Amino acid sequence: MRGKAVWIVGIMAFVLFISGMAIAQQDYPSKPFEFIAPAGPGGGWDTTIRMVARVLQEEKLVPVPMPVINKPGGGGGVALAYLQQRKGDPYTVAVYSPPLLLINLTGQTKLSFKDTTPIARLISDYGAFAVPKNSPYQSISEVMEALKKDPKSVKVGGTSSPGSMDHVQFLIAAKAAGIIDLDKIVYIAFQEGQQLAALLGGHIDLLSTGLAETQGPMMSGDIKVLAISRPEPYDEGPFANVPTLRQGGVDAEFINWRGLFGPPEMPNYAVKYLEEKLAQLEKTQLWDEICNTNGWDKSFLPAEEFKAFLAKTNEEYKEVLKAIGFYKGE
Amino acid sequence: MEAINNLLYGLTIVAKPVNIIFMSVGCILGTVLGMLPGVGPATGVALLLPLTFTMKPETALITMAAVYYGAMFGGSRSSILLNVPGDGAAIASCFDGYPMTLKGKAESALAISAVASFIGGLIAAVIFLFLAMPVARFALRFGPPEYFVLMVFALSATASLTEESPVKGFMSLLFGLMVTTVGIDLQSGVLRFTFGIPELQTGIDFVVVIVGIYGIGEVFKNYETIKETGIYALKTTFGRIWFTLEEWRRCIWPILRESIVGFIIGVLPGAGGTIAAMMAYSNEKRLSKEPESFGTGVPEGLAAPEAANNAASIGAMIPMLTLGVPGSGTTAVMLGALMIYGLQPGPLLFEQRPEIAWGVIASLFVGNLICIIINLPLAGLLVRLLSVPGRLLYPLIVVIAFFGVYTINFSVVDFYMLLIFGFVGYFMRRYKVPIAPMVLSVVLGSSMENSFRQSLMLSDGSLKIFFRSGISIALIILTLLSVMWPIFSKNIKMRRVSTKSAN
Repeated sequence: MRGKAVWIVGIMAFVLFISGMAIAQQDYPSKPFEFIAPAGPGGGWDTTIRMVARVLQEEKLVPVPMPVINKPGGGGGVALAYLQQRKGDPYTVAVYSPPLLLINLTGQTKLSFKDTTPIARLISDYGAFAVPKNSPYQSISEVMEALKKDPKSVKVGGTSSPGSMDHVQFLIAAKAAGIIDLDKIVYIAFQEGQQLAALLGGHIDLLSTGLAETQGPMMSGDIKVLAISRPEPYDEGPFANVPTLRQGGVDAEFINWRGLFGPPEMPNYAVKYLEEKLAQLEKTQLWDEICNTNGWDKSFLPAEEFKAFLAKTNEEYKEVLKAIGFYKGE
Repeated sequence: MEAINNLLYGLTIVAKPVNIIFMSVGCILGTVLGMLPGVGPATGVALLLPLTFTMKPETALITMAAVYYGAMFGGSRSSILLNVPGDGAAIASCFDGYPMTLKGKAESALAISAVASFIGGLIAAVIFLFLAMPVARFALRFGPPEYFVLMVFALSATASLTEESPVKGFMSLLFGLMVTTVGIDLQSGVLRFTFGIPELQTGIDFVVVIVGIYGIGEVFKNYETIKETGIYALKTTFGRIWFTLEEWRRCIWPILRESIVGFIIGVLPGAGGTIAAMMAYSNEKRLSKEPESFGTGVPEGLAAPEAANNAASIGAMIPMLTLGVPGSGTTAVMLGALMIYGLQPGPLLFEQRPEIAWGVIASLFVGNLICIIINLPLAGLLVRLLSVPGRLLYPLIVVIAFFGVYTINFSVVDFYMLLIFGFVGYFMRRYKVPIAPMVLSVVLGSSMENSFRQSLMLSDGSLKIFFRSGISIALIILTLLSVMWPIFSKNIKMRRVSTKSAN
């Protein structure tokens, strides 16, 4: 008797569960999303996801509110751990970029991009390699030549610790230029805007950083940007006359991609829905304007292709990190 | 004069009603947020960020700047009245501000700190107007080795803060340095003392430590006596918010001197209000004819750090506006806002968008005036806090402290940290271990370690780099003097006493 009752209750629960899922699918989205910026207010992640929420709202693409919550800490690791608690939730969405792969490869967190559900890649930003205005180096290939002779001759500065984005983007270029002792290159990490002050004051020889940071001092002539990591040169805008790494004789590129991610096991209907909305967002004029002001390139990739891109990129970073002894994987 | 013309031009921008209104809102918001323990200017400006997208860029920047220096005005209110600093820059205001309250002089303490902040802000704004560019260029000469020596000099201030028990002071200092080793080591990427907790990877925020040690620690301490006293055992006359001529005479020189010190520290990227205020305090203690009276509630001990921290907040805007280099967490958010508008800070901003650059500079003059107009009557209201029974007041402080700390990292781990440092603060008080050295080393520790290691990486391991420039040699000499000074001055005094007795 007892066993039978359990069975009946069990079957009823199962039926309810299935129909509940069907309802969830039809009404989706029926409650507010939770958009997560894995860093504090004001940075790249925070700006990106706030702008996405703004366009989705203003263009009436998504009918429910999308409040942005900041979950800083651990270079994005805290938010990644938080996503694990939200396993299977169709309403949680976070923004990430290369550090998502890097913090896993350098052992900062055990969690990797495989513990998320990639939804779509949205934009690409690029790195810049800058020197003080009175620097002896006139081009990126001259820097690489000097490093080939003596890997310690050029002191490279960047934001955040070794093995992070600023460091890796320079190493990818150095590797392509044929430098073998990548681990001997001196990389000095700075914080709170001190990297730019250190470059302007001539305390470091080269700054590896994001495009946006170099724009102001480059336009005023205080620093020289030797190369940008974009695959193609810009046709217009402040960086139109700056060579790419390839034009400078270094066969490399570095893309600071940004995309949206759901928690692990996010239901397929949710991924499809968001993927489609983001594809529509990509076509709005407002998004164009936002990308222009921020100097971002639109680079939409749907979920499946984004996943493949992540796997490929992960291998590329892994190789560079192995070369400098920062890879902490199996 | 070109500078005067620019100022007048800036004033016409500021005088627009929309700017005046938003600036006043910014001043009020800053003052209120600054008062709450844990909520500092950086949080205030970040909260404001989404709102400013709807404004014109000059209005947005003027409002954010107002929040920044408004918080410097507000930060000391709770230092003076409750011995709970609003944020790092207000710690030094506890040293003599709270003893003044204990002596029943809360009104004059509040008035002095507001006036000192005002004058500090004004002096800094004048230097900003005339010397922004050369000052910014000078700041660039500070590389990692100069920063390291500067941090050591700032830390040597503890020597004058712990004359009574140097051993305990040194222990306290070392404990603070240990706290700063938690988190990712910036130069090697290695995780240190994080125990697998991802929230600890970014280290322990010094504001959490301060609010724990001062705020929660103070509550724990008072909890011991709350049954006996029942109500907050403070006498106050609820008199007029003003100060005597005698107090003014004692304060005016310290205010003038330390405004300049604060301004210079503020201009250096990464230094900031906390260091400025601490240095100002220890400078004045050393210069004083009666250094032993510091800490007992002397007005100049309050005026000096107050003038310095406000001057520093204005100095910090120089590298941001003139070079595009953010010098503090708050200016970093402001820089981010400028970029969202598609504006590039730097020398070109003054040429291409003078209404923004000069508007902000002119607003510093008007904004400081608004702040003092707000703060004097507000002080009359705030002083009533002292009549709130401890049974109500202390739980309220605990709630605000938890709330404030949460706004820093939105992290629950910080709650545990807050409690841990609350207990640390309680036991330090109980066993009379000086708190200031620890707090100072928590503020300075990680940048000191980083600049030391950055220097050695630049020099390939040679210590000679610390003697490479006039700036660092001068700072080394100042550090030595500062450490020797207590011994020195004691000797002189003893000699004086002995010559007197010989006579």
